[in-house]
Amino acid sequence: MKLNIDGLLVYFPYDYIYPEQYSYMLELKRTLDAKGHGVLEMPSGTGKTISLLSLIVAYQKAYPLEVTKLVYCSRTVPEIEKVVEELRKLMDYYARQTETKNDFLALALSSRKNLCIHPEVSSLRFGKEVDGKCHSLTASYIRAQHHSNPSQPVCQFYEKFDAVGRQVPIPPGIYNLDDLKDFGRRKGWCPYFLARYAILHANIVVYSYHYLLDPKIADLVSKELAKKSVVVFDEAHNIDNVCIDSMSVNITRRTLDRCQTNVETLQNTISRIKETDAAKLREEYRRLVEGLKEANVARETDIYLSNPVLPDEILQEAVPGSIRTAEHFVGFIKRFLEYLKARLRIHHVVQESAPQFLKDIYEKVCIDRKPLRFCAERLRSLLRTLEIADIADFSPITLISHFATLVSTYSKGFTIIIEPFEDKTPTIANPVLHFSCMDPSIAIKPVFGRFQSVIITSGTLSPLDIYPRILDFRPVTMASFTMTLARTCLCPLIVGRGNDQVAMTSKFETREDFAVIRNYGNLLLEMSAIVPDGIVAFFTSYIYMENIVASWYEQGILENIQRNKLIFIETQDAAETSMALEKYQEACENGRGAILLSVARGKVSEGIDFVHHFGRAVIMFGVPYVYTQSRILKARLEYLRDQFQIRENDFLTFDAMRHAAQCVGRAIRGKTDYGLMIFADKRYARADKRGKLPRWIQEHLTDGSLNLTIDETVQLSKHFLRQMAQPFRQEDQLGLSLLTLEQLQSEDMLQKIAQIAQQA
Amino acid sequence: MDDQGCPRCKTTKYRNPSLKLMVNVCGHTLCESCVEMLFVRGSGNCVQCNTPLRKSNFRVQLFEDPAIDKEVEIRKKVLKIYNKREFDFSTLKEYNDYLEQVEDIVFNLTNNIDVEGTKQIMEQYQRDNKDIIQKNKAKLTREQEELEELLLQEQQDSEQRRLETLQEEQRQLQAKRKSKQALLDELESSKLPAAVLLAQHKDRAAQLETQIEKQKQNVKPANIFSTGIMMGQTVSFASVSRVEEVLYVYQPLFIDTYGPPVPGLDQLGRLGYLNHVRTASPQDQAGGYTSGLACHRAIQDAFSGLFPS
Repeated sequence: MKLNIDGLLVYFPYDYIYPEQYSYMLELKRTLDAKGHGVLEMPSGTGKTISLLSLIVAYQKAYPLEVTKLVYCSRTVPEIEKVVEELRKLMDYYARQTETKNDFLALALSSRKNLCIHPEVSSLRFGKEVDGKCHSLTASYIRAQHHSNPSQPVCQFYEKFDAVGRQVPIPPGIYNLDDLKDFGRRKGWCPYFLARYAILHANIVVYSYHYLLDPKIADLVSKELAKKSVVVFDEAHNIDNVCIDSMSVNITRRTLDRCQTNVETLQNTISRIKETDAAKLREEYRRLVEGLKEANVARETDIYLSNPVLPDEILQEAVPGSIRTAEHFVGFIKRFLEYLKARLRIHHVVQESAPQFLKDIYEKVCIDRKPLRFCAERLRSLLRTLEIADIADFSPITLISHFATLVSTYSKGFTIIIEPFEDKTPTIANPVLHFSCMDPSIAIKPVFGRFQSVIITSGTLSPLDIYPRILDFRPVTMASFTMTLARTCLCPLIVGRGNDQVAMTSKFETREDFAVIRNYGNLLLEMSAIVPDGIVAFFTSYIYMENIVASWYEQGILENIQRNKLIFIETQDAAETSMALEKYQEACENGRGAILLSVARGKVSEGIDFVHHFGRAVIMFGVPYVYTQSRILKARLEYLRDQFQIRENDFLTFDAMRHAAQCVGRAIRGKTDYGLMIFADKRYARADKRGKLPRWIQEHLTDGSLNLTIDETVQLSKHFLRQMAQPFRQEDQLGLSLLTLEQLQSEDMLQKIAQIAQQA
Repeated sequence: MDDQGCPRCKTTKYRNPSLKLMVNVCGHTLCESCVEMLFVRGSGNCVQCNTPLRKSNFRVQLFEDPAIDKEVEIRKKVLKIYNKREFDFSTLKEYNDYLEQVEDIVFNLTNNIDVEGTKQIMEQYQRDNKDIIQKNKAKLTREQEELEELLLQEQQDSEQRRLETLQEEQRQLQAKRKSKQALLDELESSKLPAAVLLAQHKDRAAQLETQIEKQKQNVKPANIFSTGIMMGQTVSFASVSRVEEVLYVYQPLFIDTYGPPVPGLDQLGRLGYLNHVRTASPQDQAGGYTSGLACHRAIQDAFSGLFPS
């Protein structure tokens, strides 16, 4: 259907539209008009993706000079593929309606592992191996050697792409990863480099967060994106953690040991080259003396390693004299390495700031700050000069150099924590140096600064105001949309007590309490008897789950549950978990259904959807707080308090509630879907917790559904499930939560729509 | 670390966890007991390389690789002499060359390449740059200064925070105790009904709160002199080295106006130019204005650019 959004003609590829989609597009349009950033929350399963895509594409078509590119960032490869499929639908619709050929170029970009078509390289299992092997076939010096010595293997796909691929533009269309591969195979071009080249002139790019947030990768891939792009972060409720991870480094004893062998290899290579080809080292030396920027010399395949700090923090001057020659640099790295080893040899926890670390390192091994800042840059130059093809082996030394550069560049927002052992195993020495970033705004700042509009959107962003605070930006629009429903298809219940009136809570003091565990068991048992098909239960941690399940087994509860349904358990092993998931779905397809026991913050809670009968009820046992004794977390909380005036408790609750909301949101993936959401902890009934749930859940949380006992829960659930089991047709939805074009244009509907968005 | 051991008595860290390894200037290790035994007289030769050593020069080995210990030792010595700072050089390139030279010296000394020659170079340098070395001894490099500043800031911040939380706690505790006591007293002695007393009590408590809030001030300890120099910073008193250059000579400015010469200010009245401008009123003259000034400027303006250039 064709919509008129605030004067903009939008093609929407479906015959019906949800009212909240219309409202969402309105807000989005305002954000784009204002050329500012936005935070938008809309429940999952209400067509966020297609609303985003159709509005922004329409905007691009209407004002090609205002918005030149859409950069859509998603988290996982399946999500990326989903976005591309929606886009394909939209473009087909455009082509049908306007009867012109599509002139848009949209493509997905992923790592070499997902895009490589080289028969040998693509068969490797790990991403790092693929990257390393690819580099060993495409680096410029390898290709130069191939010229003189044809027996030197190179990648024929890259050769072909390099020969002709850049002159011939990729024809407009929609390319997902497989399409790119097919296209590459047909032409004999390398799809990865083709895609990386093509994003410069593509209209729509879909890729992962890291290509924009991680400075190590962003500098290579996204450097030349135009300012007039719109950047969308979908499923952005975890964006602060992504930002932090991209700037943090963890160093273990093992890393250092492997680094030691790296250094030895470097040393041997240098001495060998010195004998055979001293000119090369001299040439590098000359370049460093003159401070030539290597960017114009290097080819795209060579820039495998990039600087870990943000572009504006990189010092634009010549490499300091103390690490200019190769031997001196290796000596420098050695000293640094030995210093780190000495630091890791401790018996108690040390926490210090970057300046303290720098002062100590100067006193102990006379290393200045400036050469440290150039460490990553210098290592990159050296590795290239030495023509080391197998770069994957050098990841430890790269990590160390990144650490050196980061620690000497940033004096604020980072902390160094050295732990001699893990908290769980205080007897086994396993020293780790955490260099952890505490300020997510550092990594994301250039994104906000560079692009005219950045949209952060997800199903669970409540409370909305906290994201601008922790990411340190000023949005022009902040809005939360609810789900308009023809029938109340979600039923959140807060269970606070067992039938014996013992309070149910995963609070630390009572979590081992026998009565609490039994009540949790009884709740699951009762629910397993009345809920059809699948139930998903989330625990707060793996250990807690293990304890509870063991104790249920002893009490015979497990046996009783298994009379009703099969039980599957998520473990820390990814393969085991995916097996369990598969079998769970199989069990839901036929028979009495099944129960999946999983963990909040685990794989299941983040990426797996339980549509329709795969998840008729979600039970959240306890409040999923993070492990609060972790020193990294403590440091971060302190930083948040000092810098952003966010209290510890507020942040912890916010974090726990966003994960709880993510977990229970797994069950509702659309308006025809229905599901129970059971929060089994009395603390959920408190206003501070309840108020942090997304609005679309809060709306359905009445006073009658707070602090229930198990019996009451069963009664309410039975009633709800019976209601939901009535036939539900599309006609029932029409006009209420599903609109045709005519209905949309009616006056009172537009008024209703205006109320959907709640400005924060 | 466990497999490290003394090369002489073959004890390892694994067998004797309290083993202390020592390093001397040559970079070879010995355990503490072997040092005690071999160097009873205070000096002797290294077991491995036969370098004459003193007992007092033995240090506890800090790093796994004794060569690093040796290098750091040498480096510290070299840096004591080679202590020029970045601002002692006119260009960055010179400074970088200097840094590399230092690095070369350390490298040579550590790897026993041309030790004698290098030492000579060092001595020569020391003689040549006596003043600068002396002057720079007390000074920190700019980066170190920055670091020190940051550290100081950090310390102050944490101290401030600690004080604040302490104050907060104290305040709350005190207020609670006081109000409770007051309430009890009043309930005991007053004839008013209890409800009224409670309400009064509440009011007072609120007042008290605001009062304390006002008292609480951010007392920032002074750590910077009014001149902007940090307290406790070391200032070098060595004389500034003299720079000899050619003295500057003033050259009067000459402007080519491409026009006839402009008469001077004092001649304007005589030549009759002043008849054509408004005479200055007493108010104008109060500020030092004379009609000649405006006239002179107008003539300059009119005369310039009359001749073809």
